[in-house]
Amino acid sequence: MFLGTIVYALVNSVILALMAIGFNLTFGISGVANFAYGALYIFSAYASWMLMNLLHIPYLPAAVISILLTTLLGALMYRFVLLRIRGQVLSEVIATFGIGLAILELFRYLGFVGFEYTLPVFIDRSFFIAGTYVDMQRIIIVIAGVLIVVALWIFTHHTAVGLAFRGIAQDERTALSLGIDSDWIATLSVSFGAGLAALAATIIIPLGSISPGEGYDVLIKALAVCIIGGLGSTGGVIVASFIIGFAERFTDSYIGSHWTMIVSLAAILIVLIVKPSGLFGKQKELEERI
Amino acid sequence: MAPSALLQVTGVYKNFGGVQAVSDLSFELSPGELLGLIGPNGCGKTTTVNLITGFVKPSQGKIFFQGRNITGMAPHKIVRLGIARTFQMVKPFYQLPAYKNMIIPLYSPRVKQLAGGKYGDRDAVALDLLEEVGFERDAYVAYKNASVLPQGYLKRLELAKAIALQPDLMILDELFSGLSLAEVASILPIIEKLRQEGKTIIMIEHRLKELFRIADRVVVLNFGEKIAEGPSNVVMESDAVKKAYLGVEA
Repeated sequence: MFLGTIVYALVNSVILALMAIGFNLTFGISGVANFAYGALYIFSAYASWMLMNLLHIPYLPAAVISILLTTLLGALMYRFVLLRIRGQVLSEVIATFGIGLAILELFRYLGFVGFEYTLPVFIDRSFFIAGTYVDMQRIIIVIAGVLIVVALWIFTHHTAVGLAFRGIAQDERTALSLGIDSDWIATLSVSFGAGLAALAATIIIPLGSISPGEGYDVLIKALAVCIIGGLGSTGGVIVASFIIGFAERFTDSYIGSHWTMIVSLAAILIVLIVKPSGLFGKQKELEERI
Repeated sequence: MAPSALLQVTGVYKNFGGVQAVSDLSFELSPGELLGLIGPNGCGKTTTVNLITGFVKPSQGKIFFQGRNITGMAPHKIVRLGIARTFQMVKPFYQLPAYKNMIIPLYSPRVKQLAGGKYGDRDAVALDLLEEVGFERDAYVAYKNASVLPQGYLKRLELAKAIALQPDLMILDELFSGLSLAEVASILPIIEKLRQEGKTIIMIEHRLKELFRIADRVVVLNFGEKIAEGPSNVVMESDAVKKAYLGVEA
């Protein structure tokens, strides 16, 4: 049971990292806390479902189209709404949460609720690993998680746009003085974040079903991971995902499944009390702010 | 506007609420000229730089660069036209090594435009530029994060980033502040070399002795207004300038 718990904790950690990495990327670069993140995740899943079931497009192209559509939606959201309220943190939170609420509740209103709304697994096989059966989709999730983190590192360290992302994240005025268009980079950061939410949905949703409620769960999980890791820190997101991922699985296996949500929330509270900026956060600590 | 003027500032005003930061400011700058912008603290020098570089918009007046109206244009667009600036309070990307700080301007649309899409090895160009401004290549200073570099290196890095943009006009905001006499003495030849290469430069300085060694002309501001303009030896004899600096009636 112990080894099996470790295997599932590892998968759970990667799922959390995938759910949070897009939210973190957007916040780290543009400073926008995109509270529509969970809704974009669900939007992409419903888009794939509709393309497959209404237009009869095979899953892979449907997934690619829905990822592109979600990326575009993120960009439009920034250009037409967030650009006008840029820098007003509370307004950004309310606007993005409002957009997210509208998307999720529209799907609920249109009747997209039920177990039939799901996406197929990529390969229907399972393996016996460390004394437990692990299905291929979970293995794909772990591999995809590693690949996405590596790809993001290469992108942010070795491409012009990636370097511009890091420049804006560190000092917008300096970036502007070097000819970087901060609004364009912020648009890209929100759309990339949306695209990563869609990619995560494509890989993770086949484990369960699509529902508006899942959008809220994803947002809460992304927030939990980012707050614990430190908003804007990719390393922090990965470490926090593993802390919560392992804590949840071990709680589930050894204490009881109804305690798992409490573990995440308790972890947020403890980190906020001990280190308000998160484990790897770059925000000023309380003593420095006074 | 004089046909040869690279930059023309005409009747520019800037208010911050009830504070008149710049008032009816006008001056011109010819290609290849080094203009000193001086005045007591709070006289509007940095606001003037921010107005020219688009970081703040004028309340009134116009600014032309190479005959083009750049009034209120976004800062990144002004950079692309060929104006580069440094900041009084240095602004490196602290979490990046010094040479990576250079890679960002080397990737900028301005450089892309000038290089016709051919950049060469950016790391090598970055290291060469840093060496030009005094980073010792053998000591690996260029590979250290900006967060651990002393002020002297950060000022040099600030200058190198501006040079990397291959601008037609460079605005150096208090480049010498916080530096020792020896450090200033080592940076002066770099600026003189830029001048020999035909660069047009505006320098904001409090280190007047060093500035007057290299400036063709100075503009003196006080309470946001231009109170004198001309060669440094003439300007410093002006009653208004003496009063502004020394607080005494001439």
